[in-house]
Amino acid sequence: MSKYYLFHDQKKCIGCQACVAACKSRQNLPRGPFPSLLVTIGPQWVGPRAQMAFAFMPCFQCENPWCVAACPTGAMQRRPEDGVVIVDANVCVGCKTCMSACPWGSPQWNPETGKVVKCDSCYDRVKRGLQPACVTVCPTKCLYFGKPDEIPEVRRERYAKAMLHDGDHQN
Amino acid sequence: MTDPTCKVNALGIWLKKEMAEGTFESPRTRQQASEISGFLAEISQGLAEEDHITAMMKRADFLASSGETPEVRAAGKKIIADIEENLEVFLGHIQTHTCPSGACPMLTPAPCQMACPAGIDIPSYLTLVGQGRYEEAIDVIRKDNPFPWVCGLVCTHPCEFMCVRARMDAPVAIMDMKGIAAEKAMSARQYNNPEPKPDNGHKVCIIGAGPGGMTAAYYLALRGYRVTVIEALPVSGGMMMVGIPRYRLPREVIDREVAMIQDLGVEFRFNTRVGKDVSLADLEKEGFEAYLLAIGAHGSYKLMIPGEDDFPEVVPAVGFLLRVALGDHRTPGRRVAVIGGGNVAIDAARTSLRLGSEEVTILYRRTHDQMPAHHEEVVEAEEEGIQFSFLTIPKKIHGEDGRVTSIECVRAELSEPDASGRRRPVPVEGSNYELPVDTVIPAIGQEVNGTGLERFEEMRWTRRNTIQANTISMETHQPRVFAVGDAVTGPATVVEAIAGGKKAARAIHRYFEGFPQPKIPYAPTRRRRMDFFQVPAALKADLKRVQMPLLGNERRRITFQQVRLGLDATQANNESRRCLRCDVCIRCGRCVEICRDKMGINALQLGYMNFDHPGPTDLKITAERCIACGACATNCPTGAMQIMDKDGIRILSLCGTELNRLKLEYCQSCGAVVGPARYHDYIMRRIKEISPKLAGKRVCLDCARKETGRRHVEMAPPENRS
Repeated sequence: MSKYYLFHDQKKCIGCQACVAACKSRQNLPRGPFPSLLVTIGPQWVGPRAQMAFAFMPCFQCENPWCVAACPTGAMQRRPEDGVVIVDANVCVGCKTCMSACPWGSPQWNPETGKVVKCDSCYDRVKRGLQPACVTVCPTKCLYFGKPDEIPEVRRERYAKAMLHDGDHQN
Repeated sequence: MTDPTCKVNALGIWLKKEMAEGTFESPRTRQQASEISGFLAEISQGLAEEDHITAMMKRADFLASSGETPEVRAAGKKIIADIEENLEVFLGHIQTHTCPSGACPMLTPAPCQMACPAGIDIPSYLTLVGQGRYEEAIDVIRKDNPFPWVCGLVCTHPCEFMCVRARMDAPVAIMDMKGIAAEKAMSARQYNNPEPKPDNGHKVCIIGAGPGGMTAAYYLALRGYRVTVIEALPVSGGMMMVGIPRYRLPREVIDREVAMIQDLGVEFRFNTRVGKDVSLADLEKEGFEAYLLAIGAHGSYKLMIPGEDDFPEVVPAVGFLLRVALGDHRTPGRRVAVIGGGNVAIDAARTSLRLGSEEVTILYRRTHDQMPAHHEEVVEAEEEGIQFSFLTIPKKIHGEDGRVTSIECVRAELSEPDASGRRRPVPVEGSNYELPVDTVIPAIGQEVNGTGLERFEEMRWTRRNTIQANTISMETHQPRVFAVGDAVTGPATVVEAIAGGKKAARAIHRYFEGFPQPKIPYAPTRRRRMDFFQVPAALKADLKRVQMPLLGNERRRITFQQVRLGLDATQANNESRRCLRCDVCIRCGRCVEICRDKMGINALQLGYMNFDHPGPTDLKITAERCIACGACATNCPTGAMQIMDKDGIRILSLCGTELNRLKLEYCQSCGAVVGPARYHDYIMRRIKEISPKLAGKRVCLDCARKETGRRHVEMAPPENRS
């Protein structure tokens, strides 16, 4: 994994797709490729209620990425300084082996350039002290980006509160 | 073509760089600049119309006048200046769909088309002929050459020398394909003239009814001019008619194609020699506003040896062929010596044989390989029994009682190569011998006979006694007078005369329209972009060049029947499948490079693509190694290399040649295509180290993502926990 962690608080996510749009617009992408994708699950019955859930799917920036191993040209590379996996468009020849190798479907096809694009954790923005594009635009602030120890303990806190609330009710 | 860079391409690259560097800051100018860049891209892809120029100028004007910074205003001015300065190049791209510099991949013409003096769109007509669309093929050819039938029989086909297929096995039989197109179209009455423009009232006089003059007549008539062709001989065709023997070019062929030109309203006046039967003053009185001199080169060089002028049996080849063409079929003599090594010498020798000469010998002072005559002609002459005496220099013609008895020759040796690398024949002292002959036909070259043109006083002549004319506009030094053909180039070929005629017609039209004459040579025009024939690689590789069926040798020796019998439809179809479609594939070699150097697969062995160092070509080997990744197709700048999925098969094809076919695999979740097994094997091999266990399930990208997403979702809300 890269030295960063991107946390998606699914409880707060309303599935507005602003993150996906910002991602595409930052890389100036045509129809087709989605370096990050908001996967919609449901609606399905959870107890008495129908529920929808959303999973934000950028690149996981694997520790030992299959895409990098599969790439015959060396275009796909893991940045040693921060572990972010990027594709060098100048070297990519569009053989799509990375796309087929990745179990998560992260590398995407840009039909305009005939090359692969992928989530690079906006490393250029991060270098300038900014947040990744997807995080910046999220209206519910459900995306968090940073070093693992900087990510708020949202889930734990929520769980604790719920426990507390349950306890109150029972009493 | 003095400047190898393409101005359209260069401006596009420069503008893109400026845009990337952020020169255009305001959204307004950024938009204008990006529109100009889009227009430039369209021009360099052959998708533009002439109003693209106006549209670009408008936007550039805006940048130049209302740009927010001096840099933007300077950029606008540069764009305007570039377009104005190179308007011919920009218009050329738009009108001809050709970029002669080769910088615009989509507009790079095929080598055969570049080699054709008339610039015929050869790949397009080859495809049309292969499809049996003879009428359209003739239309395509006649856009650049009004004599497809003549050229289909006797062209020197420089196109075939440049044919890329020759680097694989043998060139495509480009000339013969033109012949069958014309024959089939004429026979089916599908050989038609295009609709001419309405009469514009201007009168043009063309002197000489040869290929150059009549080509100009054709294109001028199509543009609405009133054309009169004045011819000294009683027949039309010029050297095509009186220089090329009938067994190579039947006179009916010329007559039919000339009739097509006559149909456009061109007037022919035969037996009329300018300066003798009609004067320039007469013509001026008739109201001709422009003249085209296309008088050919009907004079003969002399041998400059003793005895040459003393006997009636010494007949220059041009005069001999002329009298035979005009119907005098007397045998020139029993034993004939023809002197020279060019096509005219061969023609004279083979004609003598057909008129009954018993022994015909060609005396040439150099060697077999150095003969300027066409190889096929030489072979056919040898088959017919023409004798050749190489390294032989004639010294003197002997005779008795006013008749030739023998020709005295001296043997020669080739010198060591001189500074220019050429080996010259050097006479061997004392090797003189006499060859008994009764007729001598010198065929050592022709010259222009300018008699009768004295009143064209301002016109200038070169040292070689040809008319001095601009090679692009065909203008002579005398206003309103243009010149083409052998009269300008010296003895040359039919197709060169035709090329000149076409240029002259354009120049004369520009003269009447008041346009300035072009400064850069005309680029050939791309007439069509035909679909490819789908051909399996093995068939593409194995199809051999068609063998032209020839008339039986016995009959060839005694009659003037056409020797080359022509192709049939099946042969033509196969031959057109041999074409490598260099109008689309520009042989940049990127596919080979990527497959070999980037992918490490090396499935493409296309050695013919390298012009300077052609390597081996094996179209069949691709199927053994190719994983159908498609990187070659993705990076092909012209769409020659294509990858497509059809009926469960992924097919890789180069200009329609199916290099590889692999069965497709499908996503186990949604059924979408996930590529062939060999492709996945390749990937698995590469990631084996880090992923010893294979997932086992083959799913597409979308399903992989959704699957992962599902696993990442926390569905159960806290209040539902028990």
